[in-house]
Amino acid sequence: MADPFTTLGVAPAFSLDLTQLAQRHRDLSRTLHPDRHAAAPPGERRRALGHAIEVNAAWRTLRDPITRAEALLERLGVPRDERGGPKASPELLMAVMEQREALAEARASGDVERIDALAGAVRQREQETLARLTEAFSRAEGGELDAPRLLSLLGELRFVRRFLDEVGAALDDLS
Amino acid sequence: MAYSEKVIEHYENPRNVGTLDKDDPNVGTGLVGAPACGDVMRLQIKVGEDGVIQEAKFKTFGCGSAIASSSLATEWITGKTVDEAATIQNSQIAEELSLPPVKIHCSVLAEDAIKSAIADFKQKRAARKALEG
Repeated sequence: MADPFTTLGVAPAFSLDLTQLAQRHRDLSRTLHPDRHAAAPPGERRRALGHAIEVNAAWRTLRDPITRAEALLERLGVPRDERGGPKASPELLMAVMEQREALAEARASGDVERIDALAGAVRQREQETLARLTEAFSRAEGGELDAPRLLSLLGELRFVRRFLDEVGAALDDLS
Repeated sequence: MAYSEKVIEHYENPRNVGTLDKDDPNVGTGLVGAPACGDVMRLQIKVGEDGVIQEAKFKTFGCGSAIASSSLATEWITGKTVDEAATIQNSQIAEELSLPPVKIHCSVLAEDAIKSAIADFKQKRAARKALEG
């Protein structure tokens, strides 16, 4: 797949203005919409459609911090690791395990308030991790690439995401 | 993606789900996670003076394959010595459960969990032996 930053015409960075990016995606999609190319020769129509699909994929990749980080790592030449990066620290694993157990209990007893409290704490952690990741990426852009740190922060973000997905499932269950 | 029958069987009837007292000197606890997907797995063993694993428990928050891998792991290690248990390879678990390539990491997690529980137990026992002189 083409580099999503290039496709959307934005400078590669972890910290992006998503409102601006959304606008850029809308503008590009409008220009590339098949209706606009209905009268064009088939080759051109196909190209426009292909480009439109690419633009949508690039937008999906960049709006999510996890896939955005993956795209940046690829640009930085950090090889993809099937295991998702370095092993998580014992502290992180302990915290995640405790939170998952607490969530399972709250879900079983239908305690929505508790679930909200757990989710709030984890969202707080997510913000902290995102801030660290932003900093590590800006260092990398400045020539100080610390791949293990980037990968372990990204791993942390995936644990958080997974937890928040479970929160969503639990709340759906109970509503 | 379709799960194999064995995975479904373990998922629906997981063996040895639970918790052992992590402060018990005869209990080793392994806590591992998969940064690729956010799964977490805890595997605990209770070891007798003869080095045989008397009891194994697990708790896994993850997909069906991760649950099945840890369930199978506890089944296999119970009754084995810690040294025998340490030789279990993720490929054996993956083969037994017919895991597809994208789920191999679940069996890797289970192998890591066994090894990490054993390491924790050995560390505890060594510390105790050192105290006893």
